[in-house]
Amino acid sequence: MDSATHMLRTGQRGGLFQIQMAFRDLKNSGHRLGLAWSLAWHDIVSRYRGSILGPFWITLSMGLMVLGIGFLYANLFKIPLNEFLPFVALGIVFFGVMTGIINEGCDTFVQAKGMLSQTNLPMFTFIWRTVFRNLISLAHHLVIVIAVLTCYGYWGKAQPLPALVGLLLMVINAAWISMVAAIASARFRDIPQIVVSVMQFAIFMTPVFWTPQRFSGQNLAILHLNPFFHLLDAVRAPLLGQTVAQNTYIVLVTMAVVGWTLTFALFARTRRRIVHYL
Amino acid sequence: MSQPVSISCRGLTIRFPVYGVDAKSLKKSLARVAVGGRLGRHFGATDVTALQDLNLELKAGDRLGLIGHNGSGKTTLLRALSGAYEPDEGTIEVQGRIAALLDLALGVDLTATGYDNIRLRCRIAGLSAREVEARLPEIAEFTGLGPFLAMPVKTYSAGMQARLAFAAATAVDCDVLLMDEWIAVGDADFQKLAHKRLLSLVERAGILVLATHDVDLLRLYCNKVMRLEGGVSSEVVDIRKVDQLLAA
Repeated sequence: MDSATHMLRTGQRGGLFQIQMAFRDLKNSGHRLGLAWSLAWHDIVSRYRGSILGPFWITLSMGLMVLGIGFLYANLFKIPLNEFLPFVALGIVFFGVMTGIINEGCDTFVQAKGMLSQTNLPMFTFIWRTVFRNLISLAHHLVIVIAVLTCYGYWGKAQPLPALVGLLLMVINAAWISMVAAIASARFRDIPQIVVSVMQFAIFMTPVFWTPQRFSGQNLAILHLNPFFHLLDAVRAPLLGQTVAQNTYIVLVTMAVVGWTLTFALFARTRRRIVHYL
Repeated sequence: MSQPVSISCRGLTIRFPVYGVDAKSLKKSLARVAVGGRLGRHFGATDVTALQDLNLELKAGDRLGLIGHNGSGKTTLLRALSGAYEPDEGTIEVQGRIAALLDLALGVDLTATGYDNIRLRCRIAGLSAREVEARLPEIAEFTGLGPFLAMPVKTYSAGMQARLAFAAATAVDCDVLLMDEWIAVGDADFQKLAHKRLLSLVERAGILVLATHDVDLLRLYCNKVMRLEGGVSSEVVDIRKVDQLLAA
């Protein structure tokens, strides 16, 4: 039994205390990562129950999109297929994870209403649940990544370690955005629509379906203002055997630190209210 | 672990911000800020005081019955004791493992099998995956559902669902048991079994807090009683004085 044997809840005692309590929530969620994992696993199993391919249906549709867009745009843009197809494949798969974590973040607390209103489970548990659920999906979609990299002979060039670091940075950043979305959506029911629109806009504005090499000078500078470009590039570039710009790492680490600080402040402020929002 | 089981509430006040359908819309909220009009304390939410200045001390062996009209704050108090609601003022301190049987349907997934639902419910209650597997046979036997446990819960009748939920919810070991209504369910046979199980749970638990409208139940299971009226509590009195309390 790992449930708390001592619980102390007190009235408002100022900002510092709220931050302490928020940290305690985070710590407790760390002790119960297994629960978050079980819930995530259960979500996946129950979402695809009765379907033959399960999560591979999404993989299949992603695969079709990769092939379609890969062939079409390679022709349109006159780029060699062996360069463009892997680029698109990695872009769609990893941008998909990011979108999943952020979009599903909107449901995190709303979906957990029952549990939040009668247990003292940490709120962070549900954030990790959303993140884990999308990582499980990613594990399925890796089939596409492996297939494409094998097919076009990228294994020699690919650098798995920097890619893993990139993925980690991406998930850390997506997680705080997801948490902001979760808190905001619990309070305001318009937020999920806004988030979905923003993410849809982002996938077109980010080099997923087109390559940044088509830009030069000023336009490229503008592109570097897009945080999603850095998030994606940190994972994609190493797998394609390119080096990640140092600039990208600076942006991602800064974003993670600033983002999590602000998110944590928001959480500390709203933590005791979230259950009433629902 | 050496600490004895106890519940202590001092000056507990809980206010609910009630966010109307309106207030949930971002536009309305922003509009309000823009006009500078009726900006409430929390973006136009109205506060309802659900519990006011409640003091409560319980120690091992106490079986407290909560009575009061609908909306008098019984469930709010139980949720606060479970740790879901944070006090606005005052403190709640609970020593011991808490089990809240407030909603039997907690975490029930209709498309999953009976076994999966038991696993999920026990995981939420704080058992590790290994502990759940160890207890599964006992819980399964108690449900009396036999081969149906391997079928999706949506194929169950309402009574069968209640059996499953009850068995899973009461499978936990706890020191502090919180109950919203006595939840004995199912047909006559199962009710007997359920009563026995609940009683043993209550016996093992150091403290029981039970909210109910049924005075006979109170007399049967509780040794103390407290009345809530519009969020204000009476003194905790001995169960023998329940009639006086009700008359007051």
